[in-house]
Amino acid sequence: MGFNGITGAVNEPGEIPWEIVVIYFALALLFAFYYGKKSGGLKAFTTLDLVYIGIGAAFAVVWEFYIGSFIGRFLPSTPFIGVGFWGRMVIVFIVAALVRKVGSGMLTLFIFDLLSDIFHYGFGGEPMFFIYESLTYGLFVDIMIAITGGKLFGIGYVPKGNGDNIQRATMLTTVLAVVEGGILGFLWAIPDPIFYDGFIGPFIYAYAPNWAKITFHLEAFIPGDVVFGIIASILALRIVKAVGH
Amino acid sequence: MALLTSLYENPLLQNIISWYLVLFGVALPVLLIFWLIGLKGFVELTKYEKGTTFLYKVNPITKIAFGIVVMIVASVTIWWIGALLTLTILPLYLTLNNGLKKFGYVVMLTISSLVGSTWAIAPYTPPYILQQVFPNQQPIVVWVWPSYFSAMGYVPDLTLQALIYGVQTAFRVTATLVAALLLVVTTSVSDLFRSFTKIKVPLAITFSLMVGFKTIPKIFELLDTSIKMQMLRGLGYGKPRVIRTFYLIYGGIMAIVPTMVYLFRGAKSLAISADTRAFRAYQSRTLYKEPPITKYDYIMFGVIISLIILAIVTNMVGFGRSIPYVGL
Repeated sequence: MGFNGITGAVNEPGEIPWEIVVIYFALALLFAFYYGKKSGGLKAFTTLDLVYIGIGAAFAVVWEFYIGSFIGRFLPSTPFIGVGFWGRMVIVFIVAALVRKVGSGMLTLFIFDLLSDIFHYGFGGEPMFFIYESLTYGLFVDIMIAITGGKLFGIGYVPKGNGDNIQRATMLTTVLAVVEGGILGFLWAIPDPIFYDGFIGPFIYAYAPNWAKITFHLEAFIPGDVVFGIIASILALRIVKAVGH
Repeated sequence: MALLTSLYENPLLQNIISWYLVLFGVALPVLLIFWLIGLKGFVELTKYEKGTTFLYKVNPITKIAFGIVVMIVASVTIWWIGALLTLTILPLYLTLNNGLKKFGYVVMLTISSLVGSTWAIAPYTPPYILQQVFPNQQPIVVWVWPSYFSAMGYVPDLTLQALIYGVQTAFRVTATLVAALLLVVTTSVSDLFRSFTKIKVPLAITFSLMVGFKTIPKIFELLDTSIKMQMLRGLGYGKPRVIRTFYLIYGGIMAIVPTMVYLFRGAKSLAISADTRAFRAYQSRTLYKEPPITKYDYIMFGVIISLIILAIVTNMVGFGRSIPYVGL
């Protein structure tokens, strides 16, 4: 038995090779640093961005640990439904839509983890969760911001030539939001089964990786996450408009 | 037992009672807590109030260290040490401002967490894990779920051992929960800010964290106001008390987007006021006052060291972590 019950089991049969996990997180970290340097890193965020991130992270904590967890208890517990997780997804997407700078996803998840440590977990599992959540969920959002050139969910997108046709522009923005939200929702369904069931679980608790369970969890997470990704992107559009940013 | 057996052997009764257990066995205790704590209680438990007693004078870093050590001790020792820690930390709430009220709220939150966590663990724990936990015991079946419940991940037989295992695991969560909230209710945002600056956390991260810290109780307040406004407009008017609770939850969900918009709109004023006071204009910050290390901190250091010794000793005499977390 290792420290604090962490056995540090690697290369168990069926476990994702540790080299792949290390390479993923090293590359993710490199991307974060590269983009951070290119855009000015933490300094690139205006004070307003930092306030948005703080409020969003607070909301995610309130939802995941207080409201969402109570609502979740009314529903049968199945991997198809993740009330707490969906709420966090919606809130992170809204913050990303308000800030629209690479790094906002990672920083929001980071602050969310810090706040949940202070209010709930008491720093259990750190620093692993900072690295894991920021560089998976947060990073996916940031990559989408990078790909869309800061026009996440079609915010600020002006269609060529027909910019004055408001109806068409609104429709195009909504379509962009639905597509991007759907893709992000799909991506958010992947880290938990792959990294948690496939590596971190066996690593910490030394349980045998079960690929039938991993595949089932993937299939179970994807539909709900995609639907909520789409709802989140549309909600983000509305809220960005209402905030007048 | 014979009565229970006759209940779950009748398919109709088995279905009705099973669903009752799933929905209300979990939801009803939570609802009772919600009636008793309410959003006001959550504000009380997440908001700092100025105070003069012992815990208000301890340096924030010491309190964070205390929380971390409680977490470590609870996770490396046998379950009843976690339970004892929970029961020892709870009376500390009595020393706070409005102590009795805070104590009442935190006790209810602890009970709700215990019930919730037990129910989240017990029906899903497979027999082979229970065999490891209680090696020489014959499982006592308390309830048998309908066969289709296995689709929700339920183990067909709910045993007494599974329930005990659920309670044991739940006590690990409560120890850290009560220790963590103690920091929250006794530390002002500015003290926490100073402490984080002192240990060289980047200013951008500290600032966002502090905004979040301040915002959490505010969210409960705003949700409360918004739900009350909806009630004033007649939401759930004249409905029986039990049904009204569902209206309350509905009102809570409806309140989320307006609360969010309200807070995000307010973000601008906060940012402007911070910027006009030259926030982040300089690389480093100089502080007017740093949180001192007082005799109270030394007392806490003593407690923290004793806790670490307790963890080592209990592990040496065989009371280390004995519950397998396998698969959880």
